[in-house]
Amino acid sequence: MRAEKLVILVKHAVFVTVALGLWEWGARTGVIDQSFVGSPLGIVAFTFKNFFNTRMWVDMGCTMFSVVVSFVLGSAAAISAGLVFVTWPKFEAFCEPYVSALNVLPRIALVPLFILWFGLGVGSKIAMGFSLTFFIVLSSTIAGMRGVNQDHVTLTRTLGASSRQMFFWVTLTGAVPVLFSGLRLGLIYAFLGVVGAEVIASERGLGQQLSYLASTFDIDGVWSLLFDLSLIGVVIMKLMNWLERRLLSWQ
Amino acid sequence: MIDIQKLSLSFDGINTVLSGIDFQLQPREFVAVAGPSGCGKTTLLNLCAGLVDLPSGHHLRLANAVPQLGSHDVAYMLARDSLFPWLTALDNAAFGLKVRGVPVEQAHARAAEMLQRVGLSGFEKALPKALSQGMRQRVALARTFAMPSPLLLMDEPFGALDAQTKLQLQDLLMQLCQESERSVLFVTHDLAEAVALADRVIIMSSRPGCIIADVAVPLERPRSIRALQTNDAFHHTYAQVWRYLEQGWTQHEG
Repeated sequence: MRAEKLVILVKHAVFVTVALGLWEWGARTGVIDQSFVGSPLGIVAFTFKNFFNTRMWVDMGCTMFSVVVSFVLGSAAAISAGLVFVTWPKFEAFCEPYVSALNVLPRIALVPLFILWFGLGVGSKIAMGFSLTFFIVLSSTIAGMRGVNQDHVTLTRTLGASSRQMFFWVTLTGAVPVLFSGLRLGLIYAFLGVVGAEVIASERGLGQQLSYLASTFDIDGVWSLLFDLSLIGVVIMKLMNWLERRLLSWQ
Repeated sequence: MIDIQKLSLSFDGINTVLSGIDFQLQPREFVAVAGPSGCGKTTLLNLCAGLVDLPSGHHLRLANAVPQLGSHDVAYMLARDSLFPWLTALDNAAFGLKVRGVPVEQAHARAAEMLQRVGLSGFEKALPKALSQGMRQRVALARTFAMPSPLLLMDEPFGALDAQTKLQLQDLLMQLCQESERSVLFVTHDLAEAVALADRVIIMSSRPGCIIADVAVPLERPRSIRALQTNDAFHHTYAQVWRYLEQGWTQHEG
């Protein structure tokens, strides 16, 4: 098993080295235009320089702050709305056309409005992240609660459980696996929404820096930031996987 | 313990589910209800548990009271084990007691005692995913018997088990009933199980479900499932119950 893993690792290393080597060779010899695609060594140099630049860390802080706040607010609002909908299905039926219409709306098109309402600062980014997280977590909350094992519900009813016991001991706990998959997706989408809004117009943030570097044809810088964003995405996923393993070890 | 007189039930006002049901269950009596699928056995159990509303003007009493959902006098055991996958065997066994307000320590002590009784000592901290189907059903039995409810409603609790595990659990159930002196209304589609476990077997016909026979089982207690295999009275009663069930089919088809 260990040898198998090592072989796979070596294959990846060879693939990446060859691909980057060809890229670097192409850029240096002029086979590919460096001003449009950059070069691997240029990207490494920019990344190294940017690592010691305070501005990068401030931008990353702004982006991550917006992601966390929009995710927390969006999830809390979605779980609350999901509870209301599951408890009062008639109210859900009334709201359904509005929720569906807002859900299918390309959310990125709302950025100009959010900027108008909340300014160029973190407010509009949080609004964007919130709008994406909300609908994803709302769907999973409703699906999770509706999908609770009916045997558990019947058994608990025959035992004379109070509404509080039924909710906390059966419905909510039973909904956690589905809810968690929604939260995982919601966090990724909050990240996507915040960076997307920063790219369009912002005072700060990794998206704003990315947009600035692209507009000044600093392609090495663009690749470097894309690498940073991808790394942040991977860390977020790993964190959620770890949390899932801890919380749902019973599965 | 249960008194039902001329009970009929229809959910939609058109199709009759139960028709003229009339029977009594005495304290410490074990009554099995057998019949074809869809004859209303589970509905009858649900009426007793208060899961289905009693139609107005009909008579169904549990210890002289109208059935109420969540009554502490009743413990319900479902066809599937319905263990909570996020709770340990001990927490699952204590679940009923906790819902009914028994302090946690007391509930755990009683649950541990019942787990030991059903042969699961040492598995207190195991999650359901680590238990076999038979072990899970043992935990469900422990949960049911941990509660002091005098009436047990059991809906085909061993229906999903393999033959060998089923025999073991039937023996265990008989021992537990013997020790705790509960009244049991046991729904099953397995006639051999009905005759082996019960004091009386009620046979129901297909829809609309009505009682076509109430057969007394002439077998002494305590019983052993294995010993019953060579018991003439067991086989005679089994054949008798079969005949009634066939009559029910004929009547229905006729």
